Amino acid sequence: MALFRLQGSRVLAVDLSGDAVKAKNGAMVAYDGKMTFKRLTGGGDGLRGIVTRRITGESMTVMEVRGHGVCWFADRASEVNLVRLTGEKLYVEASNLLCTEATLRTGTTFTGLRGASEGHGLFTTTVEGTGQAALVSDGPAVVLRVSPQFPLQVDPGAYVAHTGNLRQHFQSGVNWRTFAGEASGEAFQIRFEGDGLVYVQPSERTTVGGQV
Amino acid sequence: MAFTQLTSKMVRADVAPGRPLFSQRGAMLAYTGQVTFTPSITGGQGGIGSMIGRRVANEATPLMTVEGSGSVMFGHGGHHAHVIELTGETLHVESDRLLAFEGGLRQGTMFMGSQGGVMGVIRGQVTGQGLFTTTLSGSGAVAVLAHGGVFELPIRPGAAVHVDPQAYVAHRGEVRNRLSAAVGWRELVGRGSGETFQLELTGEGAVYVQASEEKL
Repeated sequence: MALFRLQGSRVLAVDLSGDAVKAKNGAMVAYDGKMTFKRLTGGGDGLRGIVTRRITGESMTVMEVRGHGVCWFADRASEVNLVRLTGEKLYVEASNLLCTEATLRTGTTFTGLRGASEGHGLFTTTVEGTGQAALVSDGPAVVLRVSPQFPLQVDPGAYVAHTGNLRQHFQSGVNWRTFAGEASGEAFQIRFEGDGLVYVQPSERTTVGGQV
Repeated sequence: MAFTQLTSKMVRADVAPGRPLFSQRGAMLAYTGQVTFTPSITGGQGGIGSMIGRRVANEATPLMTVEGSGSVMFGHGGHHAHVIELTGETLHVESDRLLAFEGGLRQGTMFMGSQGGVMGVIRGQVTGQGLFTTTLSGSGAVAVLAHGGVFELPIRPGAAVHVDPQAYVAHRGEVRNRLSAAVGWRELVGRGSGETFQLELTGEGAVYVQASEEKL
């Protein structure tokens, strides 16, 4: 079993004993022991995965790391967050996914307008199964709980990932002020309703929505 | 210990008469006491001969001598600073990553080719380190800069540690390093894993790795 540990807040250490993990291409910073790195064609998941990824543009260059020893991963000094999945589905942007256990399946889903507003395209990556995954965020991410009584609005640029049984809509606060050049910079939000967790980072990506 | 880590990005150094420091020029943030900063024209220790050596080797980062008595705060560019204590061993580090070091350390320049021959030269090119690297030996403290903080990996005899050349910061001790290339057919058809080149470190000592693949 691959064991995920945090080495400080920005480095992920994975103990491997002959098994494999999937990681973002080029994210290895060091390893101790014997490791092999193999790029997974089309991001894994066989031919269907390749075709979906090509069409959706949610291109995730993933490598398979297999071996005995410890492997350290990091991505441009961003903070690493560990997520343990027990059968549920994690929705995450491909660029925020650092590493997943081999037992987890990755796929692609349609997100609609939200994806477009985030500047990521119309699709997002899903991670499913039982095991651990590591996400990266620009600054330490906070986990916000959404319950039926308490829906949550998130800036599309600060959204990292979510799990649970959540419905999401895209809402806009565009009014005459926006067009008069008096915009607050918060014209678009994603509204989450239902029951689940949302990961939010203390930083905003440059998004189409962020400009207005 | 002359260096104290104040925050993850700031280091405080104590200066006393007869115990000068060298630091990257312009890296002083604040100081207390009577401290003078003199640009070191020779770029460190060893007089004119060493200066020419460093100029030729392109390892001549502008340094300044810090003298007097008091304490000085150092930091640079919002990068993480890390203090390494040397007790007799040699630290190999890129000169532009040096934030400050104690005057008691001997500074030198090492030709990459002297470790691993031609592969060492290629290694310098691949990692963007050039053909030379700076060495510091003796006893004292060194503050190095890294993007996103560093962690230390021990190197034990008989077991090699591999490091991404872009994430490599420095190493100390009796360590040999060579560039190992894992070029397979995948790399040739442009489907590489992004981990084609690795630094293989063997021997006894430690390597410092940063949490990022960006150079300073």
